[in-house]
Amino acid sequence: MRAPPPILLVVLVATALRAHPEIEAGLARLNTAVATQPGNADLYLERGELYARHEEWFHAEANYLTAAELAPRHAGIFRARGALALARRLPAEALSFLNEARDLDPADLSTRILRARALRQLGRNVESGEELDHVLRQSRSPSPDLILERAALLSPPESLRMLDGFLSRTGPVPALEMRALSLEESLGRIDAALARLDRLTAAAERKEAWLRRRGDILRRTGRETEARAAYTAALTAVSSLPPWLRESPESAALANELATLARSPSSSPP
Amino acid sequence: MTIRPALLLAFVALGLSPLGAATTILRGPYLQSATPDSIVIRWRTDATEASVVSYGTDREQLTSVAKAEGILTEHIVPLSELKPATTYYYTVGSVPFAPPAAGKSGSSSRAAIHSFTTPPPAGTVKPTRIWVLGDPGTKNDVQRAVRDAYYNFTAKRATDLWLLLGDNAYPDGTDADYQKAIFEMYPATLRTSPVWPALGNHDARSANSATQSGVYYDIFSLPTRAQAGGVMSGTEAYYSFDHANIHFICLDSHDTERKPDGAMMQWLKADLAATTRDWIIAYFHHPTYTKGTHDSDKDSDSSGRMNDMRAIFLPVLEQGGVDLILTGHSHVYERSPLINGHYGKSPTFDAAKHVVQRGDGRFGGDGAYRKKRGRVPNAGEVSIVTGSAGQAGSKPPPLNHPVFYLALNEAGSSVIDVDGLRLDLTFINDKGEKRDWFSIIKE
Ligand SMILES: [Fe+2]
Repeated sequence: MRAPPPILLVVLVATALRAHPEIEAGLARLNTAVATQPGNADLYLERGELYARHEEWFHAEANYLTAAELAPRHAGIFRARGALALARRLPAEALSFLNEARDLDPADLSTRILRARALRQLGRNVESGEELDHVLRQSRSPSPDLILERAALLSPPESLRMLDGFLSRTGPVPALEMRALSLEESLGRIDAALARLDRLTAAAERKEAWLRRRGDILRRTGRETEARAAYTAALTAVSSLPPWLRESPESAALANELATLARSPSSSPP
Repeated sequence: MTIRPALLLAFVALGLSPLGAATTILRGPYLQSATPDSIVIRWRTDATEASVVSYGTDREQLTSVAKAEGILTEHIVPLSELKPATTYYYTVGSVPFAPPAAGKSGSSSRAAIHSFTTPPPAGTVKPTRIWVLGDPGTKNDVQRAVRDAYYNFTAKRATDLWLLLGDNAYPDGTDADYQKAIFEMYPATLRTSPVWPALGNHDARSANSATQSGVYYDIFSLPTRAQAGGVMSGTEAYYSFDHANIHFICLDSHDTERKPDGAMMQWLKADLAATTRDWIIAYFHHPTYTKGTHDSDKDSDSSGRMNDMRAIFLPVLEQGGVDLILTGHSHVYERSPLINGHYGKSPTFDAAKHVVQRGDGRFGGDGAYRKKRGRVPNAGEVSIVTGSAGQAGSKPPPLNHPVFYLALNEAGSSVIDVDGLRLDLTFINDKGEKRDWFSIIKE
């Protein structure tokens, strides 16, 4: 195995002095390790990742380059270089690294997520969606953000179908329900949106915010009588809170707002 | 190695624990996701076997039995239909616990009996002790000294629950790191008090929040469906739970989207709007303010995560009425007075504008911090960086962030006592010295 060029090492060690404490501590450990094992690619990878976490792109890249010279077929190095290119908004470069990383280690889902993002930045939405579908299928319990990221690449009806599929598995996750709600409203499926809100309201310990949202949707679609009824129900929910919560300035302000909304459509906020 | 059925029967007939005889518990038992009527008990054995918990409210009568499916080494057994605020005794093993036969000496049963106490019904008042450990997982003598200082401090007073603020197991949050830094470090506390963790950057080296995979997610069983109160988050990366009259909110400041329209933010807003508890305590790894071993003024430090937590999440937490914010990452102790509304870098801090109540917050000193009961937006919180449960800064850090009333470069952990409308926090250093304390009163 080859040792890295000595000049590069000197530069990398010297920068430690300017860095802040966490980099310093990490670098001290890694520099010692590199000195005893100069041919260990994983140490350069780790040092590069340390720099990348602190957005020191130049030093990150220099370490990745050395790592790649020492281990040309290392999936982790390709993934790190892909992540770095993506962070620097170079999606085409990122994709070529991430393709290599995926070919070497197809089971690494974090590579696949990065690859989906590179594809999306290149406008290749269908492929990006396919890659995310793969990740979602392989994940025991994917995060709501990942589900939303996939849903955003679909048409509204497809997106809604997909979200409902996940919601039936996960239960009413607010972020997924909110996206589904706004999709339903945009598709004119108002009663479906209201039914969704009813489920959320039933499950909530405090119901006023959901009831208010119900009133807002109804008012936006011109169902004025029902809108007022929803605002009134929200007002009732506020007044049935325990006294110490009901009398808080926040509740008082909300109650005032709801009372106005329940009275007149013209005084509703835009 | 598994036990043959005939042998198993022989063990049971003799009142011996087959677990003690045939397998070794490598990890735990440890308690997860405690609610007033349920808890999850987990442990790991060196060989595959069944998962059985025997339990009861009488130490001599462990007649209730809970089991999980399968023959495995990683045992996860949920107990349900428990009574609130009740002490339960339990053993874990591969078969139900058999008490020593009458007339035999006490050594005939080898299964250890442990205990835990269920939380009271959500919203009710009960004196609660919470142990808070930020960045504990160094596995070294400092971590041990911090632990022992707390054990001396709390003595016979039980720990009702404990929080890990991330970087729980250095350097990489691997299973082996967790084994040494958590499971072999705090075995007694793990058996008796539910632990509620947050994800730190070092934990995230072996875990992925987007796919809910990796060591951190394998080790912990956290509520995704609001099993312990609050609004369901749909992920173990961030979650909330109730204990007595306290609502706890755990955020993932490292590996989850921190955008204002991200799923975590939408959940946080819904969760804050939904709670009726007296107290709100939020905890996560990356501090909103610090001048310790990290610098919250530096955009590149931790890839801007501290900025995000301060500029994006803090306004929502404050509007939602948060009382206490606990963070780590910076290996120091930094503590503010009652503050509100400071979302910029430290030069923009203006005490006249951002301090709701000045002083040390101490009875016998400047007086406790006082807040109105009820969900009053922007009524102020005490912000605490307590990230030195495994080490203090190796070089003296600046510790000059103007938001803080007190800053210490000392290893230690924090202890919170909540009793009704009074909250006390104490910082105990690794020498057992009480280095800071303050109180918040709601009226
Ligand atoms: Fe950290």
